[in-house]
Amino acid sequence: MKAIAKIINRIKTNLHKGMIVPAVLLFITFTLLPIIFSIGLSLTDWNGYSSPDFVGLKNFIKFFSDDRAKNAVKNSVFFALLSVPLLNIIGLSYALLLDRKFKGVNFVKAIVYIPAVISPLIMGYIWMFVLQDNHGAIFAVFEMFGKGDNYINFLGDPKMAMYIIIIVNAFQFVGLTMTIYAAGLQGIPQDLYESSAVDGATKFQQFTKITFPMLGPSIVINVITNIIGSLAIFDLVVSLTGGGPGYATETISLYIFRQSYGGQSGYAASVSLIMFVLVLIPVLVSLRIMKKSRLHLED
Amino acid sequence: MKYLKSISFYLAIVIIVLISFTPLFVLIKLAIASPSLSMGETITNFSTFRFANFVDAWDSSNLGRALFNSVIITLGSIFVCVTVSAMAGFAIARFTNWYNKLFFRALLFTMMIPAIINAVPLYVIMNKLHGLNTYWAIILLLSANTLPFSVFVYSSFIKSIPVEVEEAAIIDGCTRFQAFWKITFHFLKPATAAVVIIQGVGIWNNYAQVVFYLTRSSMQTLPLSINSFFHKYGADWNLMAAASLISIVPTIVIFVLFQKYFVKGIQAGALKG
Repeated sequence: MKAIAKIINRIKTNLHKGMIVPAVLLFITFTLLPIIFSIGLSLTDWNGYSSPDFVGLKNFIKFFSDDRAKNAVKNSVFFALLSVPLLNIIGLSYALLLDRKFKGVNFVKAIVYIPAVISPLIMGYIWMFVLQDNHGAIFAVFEMFGKGDNYINFLGDPKMAMYIIIIVNAFQFVGLTMTIYAAGLQGIPQDLYESSAVDGATKFQQFTKITFPMLGPSIVINVITNIIGSLAIFDLVVSLTGGGPGYATETISLYIFRQSYGGQSGYAASVSLIMFVLVLIPVLVSLRIMKKSRLHLED
Repeated sequence: MKYLKSISFYLAIVIIVLISFTPLFVLIKLAIASPSLSMGETITNFSTFRFANFVDAWDSSNLGRALFNSVIITLGSIFVCVTVSAMAGFAIARFTNWYNKLFFRALLFTMMIPAIINAVPLYVIMNKLHGLNTYWAIILLLSANTLPFSVFVYSSFIKSIPVEVEEAAIIDGCTRFQAFWKITFHFLKPATAAVVIIQGVGIWNNYAQVVFYLTRSSMQTLPLSINSFFHKYGADWNLMAAASLISIVPTIVIFVLFQKYFVKGIQAGALKG
């Protein structure tokens, strides 16, 4: 009995050593294992049910002659190239504008954040309702002024549809970007501004010499999470355009989704790995650039 | 000059509020408008309301079931996410050994992996585990997805809390494990708020994962239900908006409840890290 009590006691006092175990188990089962599995799958022609055959690098070769896949990559990159700066410019401007005390500032911040709690799927449907051709809300406004014929079919035009997705996405998620910048701004010591004002610094100089460098960690987090989020955009595209018109707004996630549903699981896995590299490169490059400019993430 | 400045400032604020509120405004207008109104009237009419849309939407879909599923899955995932990642964050922040460090780096690295990449292999794994269309498997899967962000936030937040608070408890006879749950965990409210708002809302709205693993209609969550509603009834916008509004209310409530701690959590958790 004494021995058992001793063992139990020993387990109790050492329980803290196992505190990381549940996280590790979850990580291995639902993240690590699938990644390894994915690499194996990408070398096969698996269609989702029958037994897979090894085909080597054939899927990757196929990718480079697959115009639709390349188009999807192009769309995702284009989306990210415009989305990341847009989100950060609007987010930082909002944060700077709201970084002062006035009545209702928290209310305004909450209102700016609220679109981010709406499902992107629903957000897409809302704007589809507003923008659609012939019976949308904006069309109705055009009609009211007798200009129905001049209506721009926003979602029917390939270029326009992409810009619409970029803008809707930016205004939906700007709240999070803003909050991270706002938190960063609050962390800047006020006396830096006071002493620089004494030394005769202008507002613009204060921004470039104090605010911007001190926001380093916020910029790193925002840029990186926005790159990852933008390259992976899925829900909003599903509901707003469904990848259309044609394949004009089909992003890489949507393409992978469709391939894995269309009996091309092996091929979908290889496109997934290509997508991973696509995300990894800009993230590593931006980490490098930011490290060089002495804005760094400690670990 | 000073007047001009404050006028343009408040003008800017009004524009920001209007832009941000537009989607919700359109949704509310749609949800309470009579289906017989034209699209233009739906937006401009402020005299008639039709709350029966909510009843109709509820009756013509499996919204009740979907709401139930969403609540179970979100609460379950958040519970697992908070307990597992707070403990892991504690281990990483307090005990620096090689495997904790390695795990942390691996987690940070996988933050860069978009979830869709694992969709196909995860489907196979879920199938092998008999986890398709079950609560427990989707809860574990969704909470595993939240780990990189949550562990990161918790570990950097715990680093900012002095060790002395736990040591005092240990002197009083607690084990380190107990000291964490009894003492340290209560200091983590801002980090928990950030995790619950960002991840809780993400799980509630999750579509890209659940669409693969919850294929049975009795297991549908709200986003799935609303999507199939759209495909079934086409552009029955009023009912759709009513259904969407029902699904949005809980996220807004969560946000308002936790907002107070939110900025603090982001500041201490994400930025000091």
